[in-house]
This record gives sequence, structure tokens and C-alpha cells, in this order.
Amino acid sequence: MREPSARRAGGDPVGPVFAALADPTRRLMVEQLLLEETTSVPALSAVLPITRQAVAKHLAALDHAGLIERAPTRGREVRYRLRDGALEPASQWLTRAETAWGRRLARLKDAVEGRDVVEGGRAAESGQPR
Amino acid sequence: MAVRREIDVEATPEEVFEALATEEGRERWLSEPEREIHVEVLDAPHQLVWWWAGAEQPATRVEFLIVAGTAADEPTRVVVIESAPSFPLAMLAASFERVYA
Repeated sequence: MREPSARRAGGDPVGPVFAALADPTRRLMVEQLLLEETTSVPALSAVLPITRQAVAKHLAALDHAGLIERAPTRGREVRYRLRDGALEPASQWLTRAETAWGRRLARLKDAVEGRDVVEGGRAAESGQPR
Repeated sequence: MAVRREIDVEATPEEVFEALATEEGRERWLSEPEREIHVEVLDAPHQLVWWWAGAEQPATRVEFLIVAGTAADEPTRVVVIESAPSFPLAMLAASFERVYA
């Protein structure tokens, strides 16, 4: 296992994670890992309509983004699991973005409706942004 | 991976679009000059898409949908969807280089 690109880059940890999760097949794999805790190339090949080679390639992309790692196993089968906190940067970004747009939309509403724009927006106080 | 928020505004779609699509309009409510805006879609007054790039943050795609109320006195709905890039940032940078060079 290589060191994840997100950690090597030392800066933006979100970009590689989002790039990896932009692919729907890889999102299904992550969902599978959330459900099953560990998975393997044969297990994923059995539930996804793609070849084992394609599964291995997608797993490599998830590994490269720092999302998964090899799970310790007793048998010969190589199994993978989500890294601890792997989805944390993405989840933090989503929370921050959602909060920020709530504020911005409230300010937009104030500006367009001709009210003085205050930090956070007056409309935010009435809980209007959804 | 994307976030979606919406708000109702007591104004016409044209007034909302002006506040989103022009620099003068944005100055009234958006105070993040450190992030550069590169417009991808400008379809007045219904849709606006821009890419948002900042030195400290990953580039994201921001889409606004402006939906007129069905009756004359109904507010205009503004929907915003911000999503993370679905392709490598290097490719995005290269495409901007071609457009803005």
C-alpha cells in the first residue's frame, strides 16, 4: 500500500477524496464497505457488473485517495477496509459548504429585497434557507 | 458529492439573476474576493453556473437555478448546488488556460 496522495500532498485533503468519490462505481464500493466493514476483489466482483481487473483498478484509486487500506486477515484473501476518519475531510467540507450557503443565500435575499445586508443575513434569523 | 440549499426571494427572476451574475450585484451579498469566479453557463434569468477557485480551497462548481413563482405574487425560488470536481483539477486548470489565455 502506498502512502495516500492526500497525505503526501500535505495540503488539500479534500480534492483527492472527492475525485475518487466522483465515480459512481467507487461510491458503491465505499457504501459496500460502510455496510460490510471489509470487502475483497471477488466479493465486489460478485455484486458489481464489472470485471475483477476493473474492481482492482477502482480499489487502487480509493487507496490512492487515502480512503481504504488492507484489512488484517487470517486467510489468503486480500481484504480492504475504510481507513479511520477517511471520509472526515469530505464530510467536514459538506457541512461547511452547507452552512456557508445558508448565510450567503440569506444575504442575497436581503440584498435583492432591498434590506441592509448584515453578516449572516437577516433572513437567516427566520430560518428561511433550506 | 454536493450540497443543495434554496431560498424564496420576493423579487423577479431577472432581479435575482442580476444579483448573481454581475459583479455589482454580487458585491451586495458575496464577500469572498479571494475566490475567483469563472462562469461556465449564463442562461438569463434561469440558470447560472460558475467554477469557484481559491488558493486554499479545492475548486468547486456552483450552479444556481432561478425558478419563477407560478402566480404573479409568488416569490422566486433560488436553488444553489455546490459540488466538488468530478475530474482532476489539472484538467480544469488547463481548460481555463485555453479560455482565458
